[in-house]
Amino acid sequence: MGISKGISLTRIALVLFFLVAAVLPLCGLLASLLDPAAWEVFSSPQFLPACLNSVSIALIAMLLSLSIALLVSWVFCRTNIRGKGAFAVLMTLPMLIPSLGLGMGLVFLLGSNGIITNLLGLDVSIYGFWGIVIGAVLYSFPSAFLLVYDVLKNEDASPYEAADVLGIPKLSQFAGITLPYLRKPLISAAFATFTLVVTDYGVPLMVGGKTITLPVLMYQEVIGLLNFDTGASIGFVLLLPAVVAFLVDVLNQDRGRLGFVRKARVIREDRRRDFAGYVAVGAVSVAILLPICVFVLVSFVVKYPLDLSFTLGNIGRSMNLNAGAYWLNSLAIALAVSLIGTSLAYLAGYITARVGGKSARVLHLACITTLAIPGIVLGLSYVFAFKGSFLYGTLGILVLVNIVHFFASPYLLAYNALGKVNLNLEAVGATIGASRWRILKDVLVPQTAGTILEMFSFFFVNCMVTISAVAFLATTLDMPLALLITDFDAQRLTECAAFVSLLVLLTNIVFKALFAGVKRLLMRRAGLPASA
Amino acid sequence: MTTLTPKLSVRGLKKNFDGKGVLHGIDFDVLDGEFLSILGPSGCGKTTTLRILIGLLEPDAGTVLLDGVDVTDAAPDQRSMGIVFQNYALFENMTVRGNVEYALKFDKERKDRRREIAEKALAQLGLSAQIDKPIHELSGGQQQRVSIARTLVLEPEIILFDEPMSALDVETRLSMRAELKDIQERLGTTMIYITHDQEEAFALSDRIMVMGGGEIHQLDTPEQIIAHPADEYVADFVNKNLRIKMDSLARFMDR
Ligand SMILES: Nc1ncnc2c1ncn2[C@@H]1O[C@H](COP(=O)(O)OP(=O)(O)OP(=O)(O)O)[C@@H](O)[C@H]1O
Ligand SMILES: [Mg+2]
Repeated sequence: MGISKGISLTRIALVLFFLVAAVLPLCGLLASLLDPAAWEVFSSPQFLPACLNSVSIALIAMLLSLSIALLVSWVFCRTNIRGKGAFAVLMTLPMLIPSLGLGMGLVFLLGSNGIITNLLGLDVSIYGFWGIVIGAVLYSFPSAFLLVYDVLKNEDASPYEAADVLGIPKLSQFAGITLPYLRKPLISAAFATFTLVVTDYGVPLMVGGKTITLPVLMYQEVIGLLNFDTGASIGFVLLLPAVVAFLVDVLNQDRGRLGFVRKARVIREDRRRDFAGYVAVGAVSVAILLPICVFVLVSFVVKYPLDLSFTLGNIGRSMNLNAGAYWLNSLAIALAVSLIGTSLAYLAGYITARVGGKSARVLHLACITTLAIPGIVLGLSYVFAFKGSFLYGTLGILVLVNIVHFFASPYLLAYNALGKVNLNLEAVGATIGASRWRILKDVLVPQTAGTILEMFSFFFVNCMVTISAVAFLATTLDMPLALLITDFDAQRLTECAAFVSLLVLLTNIVFKALFAGVKRLLMRRAGLPASA
Repeated sequence: MTTLTPKLSVRGLKKNFDGKGVLHGIDFDVLDGEFLSILGPSGCGKTTTLRILIGLLEPDAGTVLLDGVDVTDAAPDQRSMGIVFQNYALFENMTVRGNVEYALKFDKERKDRRREIAEKALAQLGLSAQIDKPIHELSGGQQQRVSIARTLVLEPEIILFDEPMSALDVETRLSMRAELKDIQERLGTTMIYITHDQEEAFALSDRIMVMGGGEIHQLDTPEQIIAHPADEYVADFVNKNLRIKMDSLARFMDR
């Protein structure tokens, strides 16, 4: 039974897509390094400090994010605290806001005129190295948490029962059973957070003050000075840690694949332990909620920090400055990316997980390689590749760059979900005269409907908050909403900038709620267990 | 009955995966209404053989004849064969009834009667009470029954089984065994059955095919295989625990 023509065509189309949308632009970017002038930036006085700052901030933020992620996951899995579901949603809240917004929230709290600063009469200011670290933790913690929690909550309890019987102390159990079990997700999370932080320019732009990091340097060179070639050189340097992270992650594959038999944990009653759990999770929740609440607050004051009386005027002001149009831009981009991206990623996952063959392996690699390209580098490479083409300066290029930028995670969702569905279904289909496409449509899509919605939601939320890949490509007409934060902030329209962050957050929350509702509905209709 | 042409003839079947030989040219015949078991260690090519028989896999060389007609290049749904897998391969987004009806959806002639055909087949397998349940509410044995019903409604002349019982508990296996035998006697369907359970093979089969390393070492009745193993390999393979197997076989037959 040969593989049908349609599938071969799909496969070729997908490979071409990656060639045009990822490989060629990157090659173009690298080609600009051939010009010796592009190397000058490496000997400039800002370069080395920026490098050192970037690496040390990313390392510290990574360690902090991982520790907190481990702590919170542990509390969720080993104590009887109530409201775990709500807390877990809260932990991921920062993912729904642009990193610019998180940075801004910190400034409102701890900046020179910050609420906490004034309240406590502090003299220190957040601007600088440690401010960036705090913001970076806020920004990267949710990703670390999701990776660690997902694995820890599926942990098999039987080794611990055996250890209990043998009288092995809890601390040794943690070191001897839990940590080895979490080794792979911890490594994945370590590299994910490192890459996130080292390539983000939103937080350091807002709270960095005089402390410059590599992405900020790149941003200033390209946006401020229009030095595209210098930007490309820095982009090349940013590509290095991301590529290393990616390689380690690929070698570290199989994020703790679960055995079939898994014993659920019985959590003993222990008031004191639970109390400590509440304290820990409560503290993290407050740390997450404060910067968010504060920009909600600032959105509705007359003039921060001079006149804190309530007003709805900032909404009108923002709308007069076209925030509404930019919001529509964002929605259009997010919806287009979600629709097209989900279809492409699902098809790719279908081919690599269920059709197989050598070229499928190449496709798989191509799909996950997009993980290694920082958004800001991808965006700049698009400037080089598409300048002067019909795409340049349109919504289309923003859609394309976002699809590529966020492709890997939804692809992996599809790949894993489709790989888990019984691999003999197509064989059964062949014996009853149902083609591959029929099985895909009648069986696989319904069975993985939950995953498809998750993919859609991932694309959507990330398109709403992203600032990296689109920064160099957007024009004043097609700019997405999140980029307006820097504009307003630069024009000292602080309250409007806060309102824009709030608008992004609200949009994401509404969509998340909608997705959750649709998912529940679909699951019920398909008669699948809610967990599938 | 004088056997004119066998139900199924396999000649010179060869298959390589990535240059590695998995089947080295195997020949065998299966008679009409026969129950043939395939035994052999893991990786010896049992599943590969079955997939070629039903057309899910193309052989590199060799032919498959059904009633003397060459079907080597025919599509899987053109061979009057059905297949039952170890892990059931059910459509989990459909009900029990939905699974069986779906198998008839692509049959132009019987499509319109699929509801009653499915109900009848499911009743025969004792699944009437479960007919509108979703798959995940069924036990392993019930799921395997659904998958058998889904195959039976195709009215296949040959049913292939790839370790259908190995995910089931012992008790369920024993009752399913009897049920399979019953189906075969009732419908006269030819059955080819891969198993790792020698006892099962001896209890069910008219003949047993012992494979090893992509070749057939012996194809004969259970009695002959025990009494006159064709070579050292077969003797070794079958002899382990032979006494115990035979004892339990005797006990099973006495029931
Ligand atoms: N699609 C494939 N690509 C590459 N190699 C394969 C493929 N399918 C099977 N093989 C290899 O062919 C050999 C025979 O496989 P097959 O599945 O036929 O074994 P089997 O006898 O059914 O084993 P088991 O008892 O474990 O099911 C194995 O070494 C297997 O790794
Ligand atoms: Mg097999």
